[in-house]
Amino acid sequence: MRARHRTAISALFLLVLAIAAPAQELSLSVAAGSFRASETTYREIYGAGTPFAADIWLKLKGPLGLAAGFGRLSDKGTALPLGEGDVEYLVKFVRTSIPVTIFYQFDIKAIDFRVGAGLGFHSYKENWETVSLSYKGHKISPRFYTAVAFAVLPRLSLFGSVTYDTIPTGAGSLAASDVNLGGLQLLGGISFRIF
Amino acid sequence: MKNAKVFISVLLMCGLLFLSSFPASRGPLSLIRIPKGPGFPVYVLSRLQIDVRQELGSCLLALADREDIALLRRNGVRFSILTRNAADRDILVVRTDSPDALAALRSAGKAIAVEPGTAVFWTETGSPSEAVPAGLPRKVLSSRTVRVDLRPAVGAGRPAPQAVAQDPLIDMIVDLVSTPNLSSGVQSLQDFQTRYASTSNCEASGQYIYNVFSGLGLDDVRFAPFTFAGSYSSRNVVAEKAGETYPDDIVIICAHYDSTSPSASRLTLAPGADDNASGTAAVIEAARILALYPLDFTIRFIAFSAEEWGLYGSRAYAAAARQAGESIVGVINLDMIAYANAMPEDLQVIVNSASGWLADRFLVAAVNYGVLGATKTVDASFVYSDHAPFWDSGYPALLAIEDNPLNNPYYHQTTDTLDKINLAFFTSATRASLGLLAELAQPIKTGYPKTPVGLTATQAVYSSLFNALKTIRLTWTSQADAAGYNIYRTNFSHLGYTKINSALVTGTAFTDDDVTADLDYYYVVTAVGATGLESNRSRENDWLMYPADSSVRSTPAIRTIAPVILRGIR
Repeated sequence: MRARHRTAISALFLLVLAIAAPAQELSLSVAAGSFRASETTYREIYGAGTPFAADIWLKLKGPLGLAAGFGRLSDKGTALPLGEGDVEYLVKFVRTSIPVTIFYQFDIKAIDFRVGAGLGFHSYKENWETVSLSYKGHKISPRFYTAVAFAVLPRLSLFGSVTYDTIPTGAGSLAASDVNLGGLQLLGGISFRIF
Repeated sequence: MKNAKVFISVLLMCGLLFLSSFPASRGPLSLIRIPKGPGFPVYVLSRLQIDVRQELGSCLLALADREDIALLRRNGVRFSILTRNAADRDILVVRTDSPDALAALRSAGKAIAVEPGTAVFWTETGSPSEAVPAGLPRKVLSSRTVRVDLRPAVGAGRPAPQAVAQDPLIDMIVDLVSTPNLSSGVQSLQDFQTRYASTSNCEASGQYIYNVFSGLGLDDVRFAPFTFAGSYSSRNVVAEKAGETYPDDIVIICAHYDSTSPSASRLTLAPGADDNASGTAAVIEAARILALYPLDFTIRFIAFSAEEWGLYGSRAYAAAARQAGESIVGVINLDMIAYANAMPEDLQVIVNSASGWLADRFLVAAVNYGVLGATKTVDASFVYSDHAPFWDSGYPALLAIEDNPLNNPYYHQTTDTLDKINLAFFTSATRASLGLLAELAQPIKTGYPKTPVGLTATQAVYSSLFNALKTIRLTWTSQADAAGYNIYRTNFSHLGYTKINSALVTGTAFTDDDVTADLDYYYVVTAVGATGLESNRSRENDWLMYPADSSVRSTPAIRTIAPVILRGIR
């Protein structure tokens, strides 16, 4: 399974390199924001998450482009008591994501609009802080987003995006079965155009 | 012709209705023997509602009608039928250590060996208790379904008895045991000439014990009358010292006061100094001493009658206690604790596997307080004294006895008198028994915090996205004199507690999250005062991963057996 993932990522990387040659525009964005999980149990345990993302945007000839990046979602919460229970067991969840997507871009004056879709490779880990319990997993799943960049300086733009992931893990616990780690991610930040 | 047909039809219908108004006969009641074996699925018998009346080391004896027998066969349970006519008759389990004993028993009535050294016995007419040859220990089958031991066999991971520090207060208490008191107690009982149940002398000796108990300042002294072997009656004598912290949790120390001797003499001379004036005098001495001390738990001091007939007195008492739902922590039964065939003599402590902890605690107490060697024997077939009816009722009980097998040449003879007793051994055995009794009942120490109460254990489950944690949540009642609390835990009831809190717990709740599925946990709590003095332990509370009264425990042996065909499902 891991070998298959490595092969897929390598193939995508090569594809990106091949396509980058005729690139018209390369920009880098960094953003942070809020995450609303589609899984109710996630929200009960961790509330609204605070994700961080850094992406490289490669605009090709025409309206299409490629994007790749790195995202991290880290949250702390308390385990849910099922029935009676008054002890707070601190739990920590970390999800790192490497998305590779294709986007369609159109501009209106100084504003770039992007709509994209692709795949995300997600690696996630849940740890109990005072008890020796943890869980690790990874998953490739689809990603959809829309982004906007508003140029405030020749190379610098204000950046915002709304991303939707669906990440069915096939795993769960007593509180939730087949946990879906996806949800809606709202990010804001800056984008820097390299060329 | 047409009218005749109608008439015959109506007649047939009426006949069928008449017959169906009678309850379906389930046939005669048989006594059956069900052998135990490795991985024996005892729970099947409980599920099938089989009326087990006796547990022995290698088998169970049960009463079964035709339907039960068919059900056992359908479920593949091996059994043999001992008699097809077991209804409304007393059937005894008799110890037959030798072929001669079995032959003698067979000449007295109907006897069938059910395992080496054990036979069942009954007579077609009269009381089988009176027909059993003298000298053969016997026990009448339980009057109710017995609680078959469902716990794992002793030794399965059970810790060895631990060296427990002597409690200075209990040390002081056992030092009050008086050899002259024990000696005069035996003499007083011996002076009744005979205490054979059914005689007026036996009843008079019961009255004597009642009077002695009454003079000790105990909380309650009473007779508990019962009938036995058809037309006879006698009385157990029950004295109580009420516990101040846990009045409803009872520790019992008991002995039978009736005696016997060969049939030609027993109505007139059966001194029974060792058997069992010794045990009775020890119970009286324990009552005399502990009457002086406030205790956490209630103690009942009981002198049983009609033991020699087949444990009738204790059978009536234990069945009534179970019926009343009494919480009996443990039973210490003293029967023949004063004869030493060679010194140093050690004491034999006999238990079933569910009572193993009690024997382990006795062994430690014997060393700490009796300065006495003691040997533990787990033998469910040793049912010939008053501990056995408590086993039948599901209570932990031990028998303390001088030898197993017996070496006393005066046993059940007219020569079983005080001069044959070894008073040093008798005193040591009494000290050991009193030491354990005091440990279980917990004397309340002046200046120490009160013993915590209200300990409850509940399971609390916590879950994250991908993990779940089962914990056991303990709560107890707050105490004004406590600066904090310590929590102790063990996997074996009443044995080897380990403190599990790293710092003093200042609230009244504690969650144990270091638990493993499939293990049972037992907890006690102590209170620690401002000066660091620690109270007695609370009543033990358990969290059983499988409920104690459940007939199903998740053991591999049970998992692998075929599904049970239940009653009523054909």
